[in-house]
Amino acid sequence: MATKKYWKGLEELNNSPEFVQKAQNEFAEQIPVEKFLGNENQESNGTNRRDFLKFLGFSVTAASLAACETPVNKAIPYVVKPEEITPGVANWYASTYYDGSDYASIIVKTREGRPIKIEGNDFSKVTMGGTNARVQASVLSLYDSSRLTGPTVNGAPATWANVDKEIGGKLAAIAAKGGAIRILSSSIISPSTKGVIAEFAAKYPTTKHVTYDTVSYSGISKANAQTFGQEVVPSYNFAKADVIVSIAADFLANWVSPIEFSKQYAKTRKVSKDHAKMSKHYQFESNLSLTGANADERVPVKVSEQGKVAVNLYNAVAKIVGGNSLPSSALACDAEIAKAAKALAESKGKSIVVSGSNDINVQLVVNGINQMLDNYGKTIDIENPTYTHQGDDAAFAELVAEMAAGKVDAIITYNTNPVYTAPASLKFADAYNKVGLRISFADRADETASLANYICPDSHYLESWNDFNPKKAHYSLAQPTIAPLFAQPRHEGTRQAQQTLLNWAGNTSDYLAYIQKTWMEKVFPMQGKYMMFTEFWNNSLHNGAIEVGKGEGEVLATPVLDSAAVAAPLAAAAVKPVKEAPKAEEVKPAAVVNLNDVASKINAVKGGALELALYEKVGIGNGNQANNPWLQELPDPISKITWDNYITMAPAQMAKEGYLMMERQDREASLATVTVNGTTIKLPVVPQPGQAEGTIGIAVGYGREKAGSLSAKTGVIGQNAYPFVQVVDGTMMYAALNVSVANANETTEIAGTQIHHTLMGREIVKETNLENYKKNPKSGNHDEMLVTHSGVKKASTIDLWDSFDRPGHSWGMTIDLNSCIGCGSCVVSCTAENNVAVVGKAEVIKTREMHWLRIDRYYSSDMNKEVAKEEGVGAIDMYLEMENPAAANPKVVFQPIMCQHCNHAPCENVCPVLATNHSSDGLNMMTYNRCVGTRYCANNCPFKVRRFNWFNYNGNTDFAFNPTQDDLGRMVLNPDVVVRSRGVMEKCSMCVQRIQEGKLEAKKSEAPLKDGAIKTACQQSCPTNAIYFGDLNDENSEIAKLRKEEAEGRNYFILEEIGIKPTVSYLTKVRNCETTIEEGRKTSGHTEAKEEKEHA
Amino acid sequence: MDTMCNKPRKQILAIISFLFLSFIFSANNVSAADGAKIFKQNCAVCHSLGTNKLTGPGLAGIATRAPGDEWLKKWIKNNDALRKSGDAYAIKVYNDNNQVPMSAFEFLSDEELTALVEYIKAPPAPEEKKKDGAPAADGDAAPAEQGMNPLALLIGIVAFLIIIIAVLRGVRFSLKNLQNEKQGLPLEEQVGPWTELKTWMGANKTKTGLVILFIVGGLASSGWYALKGIGVYEGYHPVQPIAYSHKIHAGDNAIDCQYCHSGVEKSKTAGIPTVNVCMNCHKGISEGPTTGKTEIAKIYEAAGWDPDKGAYTKPEKPIKWVKVHNLPDFVFFSHQQHVKVGKQDCANCHGDLKTMTTAQQVQPLTMAWCIDCHNKTEVPTMKDNPYYESLHKKLAEKYKGEPITVSKMGGIECAKCHY
Repeated sequence: MATKKYWKGLEELNNSPEFVQKAQNEFAEQIPVEKFLGNENQESNGTNRRDFLKFLGFSVTAASLAACETPVNKAIPYVVKPEEITPGVANWYASTYYDGSDYASIIVKTREGRPIKIEGNDFSKVTMGGTNARVQASVLSLYDSSRLTGPTVNGAPATWANVDKEIGGKLAAIAAKGGAIRILSSSIISPSTKGVIAEFAAKYPTTKHVTYDTVSYSGISKANAQTFGQEVVPSYNFAKADVIVSIAADFLANWVSPIEFSKQYAKTRKVSKDHAKMSKHYQFESNLSLTGANADERVPVKVSEQGKVAVNLYNAVAKIVGGNSLPSSALACDAEIAKAAKALAESKGKSIVVSGSNDINVQLVVNGINQMLDNYGKTIDIENPTYTHQGDDAAFAELVAEMAAGKVDAIITYNTNPVYTAPASLKFADAYNKVGLRISFADRADETASLANYICPDSHYLESWNDFNPKKAHYSLAQPTIAPLFAQPRHEGTRQAQQTLLNWAGNTSDYLAYIQKTWMEKVFPMQGKYMMFTEFWNNSLHNGAIEVGKGEGEVLATPVLDSAAVAAPLAAAAVKPVKEAPKAEEVKPAAVVNLNDVASKINAVKGGALELALYEKVGIGNGNQANNPWLQELPDPISKITWDNYITMAPAQMAKEGYLMMERQDREASLATVTVNGTTIKLPVVPQPGQAEGTIGIAVGYGREKAGSLSAKTGVIGQNAYPFVQVVDGTMMYAALNVSVANANETTEIAGTQIHHTLMGREIVKETNLENYKKNPKSGNHDEMLVTHSGVKKASTIDLWDSFDRPGHSWGMTIDLNSCIGCGSCVVSCTAENNVAVVGKAEVIKTREMHWLRIDRYYSSDMNKEVAKEEGVGAIDMYLEMENPAAANPKVVFQPIMCQHCNHAPCENVCPVLATNHSSDGLNMMTYNRCVGTRYCANNCPFKVRRFNWFNYNGNTDFAFNPTQDDLGRMVLNPDVVVRSRGVMEKCSMCVQRIQEGKLEAKKSEAPLKDGAIKTACQQSCPTNAIYFGDLNDENSEIAKLRKEEAEGRNYFILEEIGIKPTVSYLTKVRNCETTIEEGRKTSGHTEAKEEKEHA
Repeated sequence: MDTMCNKPRKQILAIISFLFLSFIFSANNVSAADGAKIFKQNCAVCHSLGTNKLTGPGLAGIATRAPGDEWLKKWIKNNDALRKSGDAYAIKVYNDNNQVPMSAFEFLSDEELTALVEYIKAPPAPEEKKKDGAPAADGDAAPAEQGMNPLALLIGIVAFLIIIIAVLRGVRFSLKNLQNEKQGLPLEEQVGPWTELKTWMGANKTKTGLVILFIVGGLASSGWYALKGIGVYEGYHPVQPIAYSHKIHAGDNAIDCQYCHSGVEKSKTAGIPTVNVCMNCHKGISEGPTTGKTEIAKIYEAAGWDPDKGAYTKPEKPIKWVKVHNLPDFVFFSHQQHVKVGKQDCANCHGDLKTMTTAQQVQPLTMAWCIDCHNKTEVPTMKDNPYYESLHKKLAEKYKGEPITVSKMGGIECAKCHY
């Protein structure tokens, strides 16, 4: 470890004097005295001592007088209390999140009828209790005051009765004259919704339904149509894969079903002494993605080379397993490809190759590789497809052409926003305006809806009934967890889109009854567990998600009910796909696909000097929740930048082209203009180690002008990169191969949390590789030794103070760095659970973000002394190489850091008012009402996890974007946690409100506390189960066992050597890579550096 | 001596036997007054004494309609059995009331049934109630007006004393001069009281110092306590929108606290009863003993109940009660913790509500008060509750026979209440 250098950012690596000076300060910025005083005139006049005393005297008197008045608080009980509600007790309801791309089976916590928190549903066999940041944040989107409160006609409020009447009349007229009616939606996985659309199409026979996904995977389904004759996206099982090769598929963050894949992936990354085995993950990509950051071997390749990587990988695998090779061209990374191919071939049937490309040809080659490796039916299941992405790019393009030609008379858009998301080349907005009748179901007047004649706002998913079929044989239900927020008599109200369509179709059924009918007819017969439908329905609703049929065979035995009914549009007869492609061509058997031609086409792709790869961020995703301040403030896991999108560029290239290198990321960045096919946007340039040279990356989902009120309060956030999407051979390509970037010679400020609260180069992350781990489970995790008068001793054995008595519980947390993928789900979950304030871009720039939990991202390079020796690199070159991120493709380690609840906490000693002290169950408690805001504790915290409320974020109008400043947004607050005010320090409490609740439940039930009964918010939301929490005093608890097992293994405490005895421990990261990492320092004879710590 | 002793003994015996007899007598002789009580406890929820129908028919004129007292008793005791015996009138009553069966009251003794029937047949005429509105609210303010403000009293006494002193000084001066005049001595000059005080103070420095010390000390300590009292609302009893009386409900009618405050063992809040809980009883009880119909009508207003039609016909209007016990937002107090686990009686914190007309804050609800109790109180369930098993063992070892109070279990740590 001594030679392996970790750095949090380039600025730390370069170690400029300015950085060092700033990093020394706990609070990087000057204290804004003038802002507190508020009145600038007052300051210029100068407040003399007498005035000060007068003010003081007056305010003390005024405060005392004000306090004397008895506050009159009203208590207003229900008139008729709903049976299931007990005020003060949370109710949980199973439901489902699906926004057209992410699917998650969830449980919703409601208090007094308000949903306040979303957690994963363990009953689901698809998402297995996982959530991601977007799912976690979606509860805030419910309380979005930008939502429409009723239908509008050309922007003016209208009544549903009128809207229904007018639209009904117009649709009937269009249908009568044979005019085309189109429904354009994102993927629909609801069998009932498909039924509703079929009913609508039956009433208006000229209706066609086109599915358009914002980020489409139609390349995969089209390729499968050619290879297998099934136009589907298969289901993948990364849990069964020993070797994973991903060509730019960011499957842990965005690709197809990231929550499901994260759960599966994490299962292959859990190692222990008895199970020293983990998957090997290769990643070939241009941008440094979250998935790439977690890979064992990551190879930067240009966008234009990604297809060629697939072809060369095919050839390399074919060479080993025996097969025809395809025409190929040499690549710089052929050596790595060969290694990956070897690993794949050795794990035939237990490997997986995926590609993030939406190019049918690339996917055909990938299919070929997986076929050669015999992965179908094992890690990839084409027979049990995933339905979450059914978008058909070609059909969409055709629809736009039809619209532009004026051939469409009416268009209904549902859960899609193509004016914002469609590629510039399609000119969707112009085409849209040519349609006579434009109806939108959007919940707000977004980019598309604001151009529509009628907006018939859909209810939020937490207010709605719905059903879902994310995967073959897997079903789930969504139930309302709150009555519609916007309803009669105060508002005209929102109405579920399905209900609206049913009304227009002349079906008087209520949508819930319709779902029940669908389930009775279609889903109920597929299962064999329940005899009565009511019983089946109630159980399904209670559990949220069900799997029908016992296994593959049985599901296959009922194809008529399942695949025919759902995979293909439910009423295929009525709703024909616009593109009526000859079926025969699609249902080609595998042998017919000529991979030679395909490879030639791929090889013919010409790269440009600079190529652009678009990507989705973990927080904002495709941008449909862009109005959600929690997501905007969530730092990107890689760049750690909030509130913006930007151009990521290799640092070497930036230096070459004269951009500001951002010595401090939170200061100035150069602006550059990016032009693709005549579309230009201006964005800041950010250095991104690991970015393939000759490529840049830009996140989509930003630059939304009509997402809602957030942009009015903060200005439009970022720039829209969707126009850069290209349509190539009938599919969308989320990249551009010929990009010109010009320095705009302007600068802007960027809000990165990158180097805030840096740990000054101390040894914080510990890492080893699998080889070494097998030999020695403690490798990479050497003991910290201290020199004492009685010889060198383990730091953990020396204690200056008495330890605390722990008669009852002793809470502990352990975080497995090997499982943590850095996705940020825990950060949003913590924000929601603990009422953490949103501070906005300007404050983040001043290092004042309030997140109680942050995920530190460390870069490290492969170069170390041994590699240098092997490769014969000289000492000077070696050190240069070690610290040269441009040349290196850095390895990334994620480390969640929250309050470590030190048993000898440095913060506790320095508090002059005893606002922070220790509990008998091991928590470092923070008492807000006692805190006077000296900030000594934050200054003394070695982990920099304490957060100070510089402002009243809940009342100060400078922070109007804070959810707590809005009557609706306030409803999301957790009533069990105090909303902190200005001048108070706060930090992670280890979800003490949950601990108290769990303990009380156990006391009430007169039983010992069960292990796992209490879960912290971060632990519950973690899609990879990286966080363990429990009672260390309970010998049988999972965490106590883990600590015992890993005591002489991977378990370590950060900064153990300074004697603070943290409660939170970490497990060493194990990387399955070939590069040897130096063994931990030998325990003897390496004391010189430690001596000074002895004095500390 | 004997006679002297025997006499009182006989008297005592006589008294005891009289008391005994009267007890037996009273136990046997269940009067019409008891009939009223039995009716209120068991019947009033479904039956009115008038002609209006609640869940069951109104009982006015029952004496003439029903076949007789014995029939009534049988019907009350077990109407189901009576119907099954084929009694024609019983079946008719059952059918007339939409075949909604009445509960059986097997537990009523014959005497009680007699008293009840007597009461039902001849209920007392409703008393004329005073028409003046919101008597409870007036009642609240009244005690404050009746009691003399101690400060005013003190100031009055001091002022009175000063006047007396001034008058006496004048009198003394006049008398002295009169005497001097009589004795031919020179007249004393009138000395101002201030000069005299200064002279006296000069002569008695120790006493003066003590007095000044006393005054300053008194002022400082009273100021200190006044400051400590800021934000403490002990004795707070605001006027409520409905003159609800805990005395009548919890005291006179002995309704259990949890009947209305049902969340107390389930939630952190005990909960203010919702209007539908009030209506459980007040569907039948439209008139109260102190305020007549006015206050109960407010419940009907809130519930949207039309007492004449016997149906919920009007819109609901929530009642805006004034919260009596206010804890700051940064305190998390859990009722279930204290009542269900800690087995605390409601009265420990809320006082004896059975005697209170309006709820009043009787405890200071300060943190010192909380901690004081946690320092003294043992957890009664600790020994039997398996949750505490290992903790109890360890603490018993540590404190060896000392009572294991809440504080010793960590019950005064910050994060137990502040998070």
